[in-house]
Amino acid sequence: MSNEAIEVMELRKQFGSNGSTVCAVDGVSFTVRAGEIFSLLGPNGAGKTTTISMLSCLLRPTGGDARIYGHSIRQDAMAVKSVLGVVPQDIALYEDLTARENLMFWGHMYDLSGALLKKRVAEVLEIIGLADRQNERVGKYSGGMKRRVNIGVALLHQPKVIYMDEPTVGIDPQSRRNILDSVVALKQQGITVLYTTHYMEEAEEISDRIGIMDHGKVVACGTNAELVQTVGAMDRIRLTVNAEAALVLEHWKAMAGVQQVTVNEGADGAGLTLLVDDSNRVLPRLFESAAAEKVRITSVEVQEPNLEAVFLHFTGRALRD
Amino acid sequence: MKAIQIALKDLVRSYRSAFALMFMFGIPLFVTGMFYLMFGNQSTQPEASLALPVTRVVIANLDAGDKALAQSLVLSSGTNGAAAGSLGDLVVDSLQSPALAEFMQISLAADEASARVAVDTQAADVAILIPAHFSADFSAKHGQASLIIYQAPALTTGAEIVIAVLGQVADGLSGNKIAVDTVLAGDYRGDLQSAAVLTAQQYLQASAAFQDPAALIELHAPVQPAATSSPLTSIIGPIMGGMMIFFAFFTAGSTALSILKESEEGTLARLFTTPTRQATILGGKFLAVGLTVLVQVTLLLIVANQVFHIAWGALGAVVCAAVGIIACAAAFGIFLASLMRTTRQGGAVFGGLMTVTGMLGMITIFTGGSAGAVERVALLTPQGWAVRGLTLAMQGASLNETALNLLVLLALSGLFMGAGIYRFQKRYA
Repeated sequence: MSNEAIEVMELRKQFGSNGSTVCAVDGVSFTVRAGEIFSLLGPNGAGKTTTISMLSCLLRPTGGDARIYGHSIRQDAMAVKSVLGVVPQDIALYEDLTARENLMFWGHMYDLSGALLKKRVAEVLEIIGLADRQNERVGKYSGGMKRRVNIGVALLHQPKVIYMDEPTVGIDPQSRRNILDSVVALKQQGITVLYTTHYMEEAEEISDRIGIMDHGKVVACGTNAELVQTVGAMDRIRLTVNAEAALVLEHWKAMAGVQQVTVNEGADGAGLTLLVDDSNRVLPRLFESAAAEKVRITSVEVQEPNLEAVFLHFTGRALRD
Repeated sequence: MKAIQIALKDLVRSYRSAFALMFMFGIPLFVTGMFYLMFGNQSTQPEASLALPVTRVVIANLDAGDKALAQSLVLSSGTNGAAAGSLGDLVVDSLQSPALAEFMQISLAADEASARVAVDTQAADVAILIPAHFSADFSAKHGQASLIIYQAPALTTGAEIVIAVLGQVADGLSGNKIAVDTVLAGDYRGDLQSAAVLTAQQYLQASAAFQDPAALIELHAPVQPAATSSPLTSIIGPIMGGMMIFFAFFTAGSTALSILKESEEGTLARLFTTPTRQATILGGKFLAVGLTVLVQVTLLLIVANQVFHIAWGALGAVVCAAVGIIACAAAFGIFLASLMRTTRQGGAVFGGLMTVTGMLGMITIFTGGSAGAVERVALLTPQGWAVRGLTLAMQGASLNETALNLLVLLALSGLFMGAGIYRFQKRYA
């Protein structure tokens, strides 16, 4: 049997018809091995959630297919759903029911019943750390606690694969830490995790492999180290100037050792990001060039190669743009 | 099984909402309570009395009389001193008594058809039809005569008074006949005392045989006197029934709206990611609507009966009416919810369409109109049919009559449900 838990083949989703069509996912292909954490990293609107929705059998693909443990999302949706646990981006719980009532209800939906259901609910309440507050209505919980119940629902039936769609959006650092720890714990239990995020640090920290998505396409895929290698040993220099970027832009683009320059205009001047071969050699020349044009550099930040640089390399813009 | 779990979950959620509970139970009971206190207070004051409207009674006396009866009964003069040529004349004469003028306004019709037309056109409230062979049937050995009462369906109190008065007249006539039969049979020992004892025994036997004191004259009336036990409950009964139906339809609509609410909250999408078929999920949601209204209607019927002493009618007829209300309210709610894209549209639809159809459906309760244009307008709405079903039950209509109304409600439910299911399945396909 194949070691691949998820095989995505030329998956495509187009919304609208006739003149006004939007291609949210455009021929995406990747594989996720059993027991690994695979992150889809990309900015908002990159197509991550649409991809997850198709892999959850919520949306029917316009083209392509995917297999989850051998089951086609087109041909065998019920079999796919039975091996899946889905943690949606927004909290999807019944706020007027207690945490326990929520878990009991969702357990029924995952075909659990009787003693097994009660056992699993008790175990999940322990895992998410809410056993002592299980009889409080979810509506009274903090955002972090709701997130934990939201994840707990997906764990009830001990799925082989869990999809987590940006589970850390809008929560406090402590809850975020708990969630990231719990994702790693799932991997240790042998569960395959497909994780989407637009936080580069999260993807770097927890992922075995990462797929970078932009404009509905996977533009790069591999381990963190493999992706960083694709941009070579280039350093990234972020700096701001007190005048319009155009004054220095062409000089810097033509400068030896500078591979790429992108501009973000701001209220107090311009922000520029440069990919350079060696920041130690390039930086002095940048200051000289700026001085010659009577432009003042007001801040400088140098970063070693990372996913941000990879994203910049493949898309021509920063991940946080 | 999963559909039941979904329905039970929705039921719990509905009954945990204070707002929903207020609409489901609070307002119908509060409004009825207000009427109860208002009229109940009047009826308990010694000086005050409940003003009853004068019932317009039209009588078609077709009784051809009977020779033997004329000889046997003392028919030479009625209570008003007028000559009475038949038993029918005697009944008419009794109802024209000045003592009853406060309650009844009597007029005479030439034939049965014109008497019925008078009721149908609301020129009269009740028609009493005295058949041509009334005297003959009464005088025959072991014979039983019939009086037919035809009334406007919504009229309850007036008809009860007419039936009660006729019952007393029939009682008197029956007693007389038994006494005369006893005397004519000569089956006594010659003294007046034994004749009286024998007459009483025969009267009791005759009564027991028919389970009715007026056994020798049968009253054919569409009203069960037990259904509305007092003028007070006959006033607040329809009001409570109308309120219950009005808010049952609202409850069904707002419960059906939970499909859209779940869609907006993301729980519906999450349900679709579980190994549960779409039909099961939607079926569970629809079941929840029916269950919620079932609990509401059942509790309101019981509480109104226990607290306000409202007699809803015979059990079978009430069950028919309740099933109709529940099915039609649930289906109508699902249909309306299927027309909406967001819950924000719910306020306009329920505040507008549901209120208008609800008020039109209840129009017969407040106007007292049960025939003609008013009822036809009410029956343009599903609520109108629901009100009709409950009114029939309260008026003591037979199971057949209420079952017919139930069939209409079930047919409407089928149409609404079919359209609702089609639209929802198309939306979430």
